[in-house]
Amino acid sequence: MDKNNNSENMLSRESSSEQSRGLNRRGFLKGAGGAVLGAAAFSTGLGLFSSNSYAAERIGKRGNATLLRMARDIYPHDTLEDKYYQQVMKPLSDESSTDSLTLKLMEDGLNQLDKLAVDQYGMTYLAVKKESDRVVILKTLENSAFFQKVKGALMMGIYNNEELWPRFGFGGSIWEKGGYINDPSYGKVDWI
Amino acid sequence: MSAKFDLNDDSVVVIIGSGAGGGTLANELAQKGIKSVVLEAGKRFTFNDIENDEWKMFGKISWLDKRYIVGPARIADDFPNLPAWIVKGVGGATMHWAGVAMRLQEHEFKMKTVAGTVPGANMLDWPITLDEMKPYYEKAEDKMGVCGTEATGMPYHPESTHYKVVAEGAKRIGASCEQATLAINTQPRDGRTACQVNGFCMQGCKVGAKWSTMYTEIPRAEATGKCEVRTNAMVLRIEHDKTGKVTGVLYADKDGNQQFQKARVVAVAGNSIESPRMLLNSESNMFRNGLANSSGQVGQNYMTHTTGGVYAELPGKVEMFKSTVVPGIVHEWKKHDANRGFVAGYELEILHLGLPFMSAFLNPGKKGWGRELSESLENYENMAGFWICGEDLPVESNNITLHATEKDQYGLPVPVVHKADHFNDTKMREHAYAKSKELFYSLGATKVNNLPPYPASHNMGTNRMSEHASDGVVNRWGQSHDIKNLFVSDGSQFTTSGTENPTLTIVALAIRQADYIADQMKRKEL
Repeated sequence: MDKNNNSENMLSRESSSEQSRGLNRRGFLKGAGGAVLGAAAFSTGLGLFSSNSYAAERIGKRGNATLLRMARDIYPHDTLEDKYYQQVMKPLSDESSTDSLTLKLMEDGLNQLDKLAVDQYGMTYLAVKKESDRVVILKTLENSAFFQKVKGALMMGIYNNEELWPRFGFGGSIWEKGGYINDPSYGKVDWI
Repeated sequence: MSAKFDLNDDSVVVIIGSGAGGGTLANELAQKGIKSVVLEAGKRFTFNDIENDEWKMFGKISWLDKRYIVGPARIADDFPNLPAWIVKGVGGATMHWAGVAMRLQEHEFKMKTVAGTVPGANMLDWPITLDEMKPYYEKAEDKMGVCGTEATGMPYHPESTHYKVVAEGAKRIGASCEQATLAINTQPRDGRTACQVNGFCMQGCKVGAKWSTMYTEIPRAEATGKCEVRTNAMVLRIEHDKTGKVTGVLYADKDGNQQFQKARVVAVAGNSIESPRMLLNSESNMFRNGLANSSGQVGQNYMTHTTGGVYAELPGKVEMFKSTVVPGIVHEWKKHDANRGFVAGYELEILHLGLPFMSAFLNPGKKGWGRELSESLENYENMAGFWICGEDLPVESNNITLHATEKDQYGLPVPVVHKADHFNDTKMREHAYAKSKELFYSLGATKVNNLPPYPASHNMGTNRMSEHASDGVVNRWGQSHDIKNLFVSDGSQFTTSGTENPTLTIVALAIRQADYIADQMKRKEL
């Protein structure tokens, strides 16, 4: 599993359109500090749900790792460490631990994901190496409650996460500091 | 301070809604000594409730009662229960608006004359002209404190980076671009502070620099002792007598108890979904199709502006959030020019979203995921963009109807909004997308993202104003053609949408309507 994750991570990075967009993405990478190196070795066999949660126990190690792979395929940010994907999914993990309906949604969704992968590629979702191939599977699940539940939790958890805003270059609340009107960069532009 | 009126006091004007239309009307009447009871469906917020956080404020202040949007447009898939993005609370949508205050253009009051018959559209001229509106626009600009106008003499905001970048692009393609006239103080004025550019105009202005009836018109009306605001008061029906005159309003109070407030005059200002809904819900033996609906136009001609978004990924930093939400406007295509292949015009309003909303709207709905979207979001700090705001043609089948079976928490039929693009809307949007691309490519954009329309904050037309009772709901004063003491005071009275943001016109119409109501009361006509 670890091996798969490592290689698929490398693959997905190579298969992205990153090169053509390298200039623009520099901002994100710069803000990420040491994350670039970390990302290449991000896989440690962890899953999306914290390993000691009831939900993780029920879904199982592979299911949990599958969820993490799926999360990274839904909103792929190669330089963003696993811990963020895990952290942002905590509310869903908690919900799955206490709400049997949510847990069932996750279990059934994961089973379906694997079934689709087996039908299509003869292997589980986690074993499918190319991101573009996995996306084909996800696309068929796009309208399912399972997929939308995971997507919704991720969207809020990644892009509505104050801790990550500096990485994306968003400032957030400023009124406490008197607004942007006195910010030295207000109205500055040096590239046009 | 705040008055308290008896439920049986039939000398009061009952105003339904406390936003741009209702809030302004209440204060204008109060200043003339005319008593009113304002029924507001939402609660009263304070400045402490306002946070610079997109999702928190969305959850806190939005009108989230059950609604449906149906029709072929993508928005029905992306946001099936959120046709409109407006506010439930004292101040209404003036909490959420970005402060853009522009007058309608002269030709926009007579689109039928200017554009002629347009197949599939229910075109009509307003029964009023820009000339008649001018003094009221000036009063509205003064009242609201619109910067960059003669009415206030207040300067524009210092130019933000977002503005400068777009203005340069506009210059390169020969398009006119100006700073936005905003109802946001750039100097301390009228008891309110100057803007410090927090960048969260649409989440409620934390410092009160932006005009909102929440902390201007409403408290001023209350301070006269002539106005009582009842919050958490959801209107169920407007009642009438045998002669057809309205007698008062039945509503559910904060505890869910039904109350009936008698009235001399009723003014409906609940925004363009709730206002027609109230009239339709008030059907009776005498008015089988709903109140004020002899024309059949109540709930019809629902307009939102022809919208869409455009966000470009540029070669340098923009940090668009370090700006007022709308710092400027590309006006180049605001006039009517049939040579473009569509009638009426549009504005490209420079507008920023924070990262949380950008992730939700860049590719909204179920389809919004995957590497392309993620990579664009990684370019957030290099983004600049527009919200397209164009004239949306009145189409009769774009409408508000009542759900046949489903009821809301008050037992009222849930509103169903039908919205489809007219061919003209589609062509206009394509033109706007193309011009935006040209502008951003001139700045070296690596990618330009087109966003489909998202839930509408500009809602208009569902109780439209007309010269003749046969093709509209209200007359030139917003007074219903059918029922003398029933008025419409919000954007639902717009005959056509114009390309400009509606709030300034709503406020100007409310000031004008207050003059008329006062005059008619004096003459014992009301």
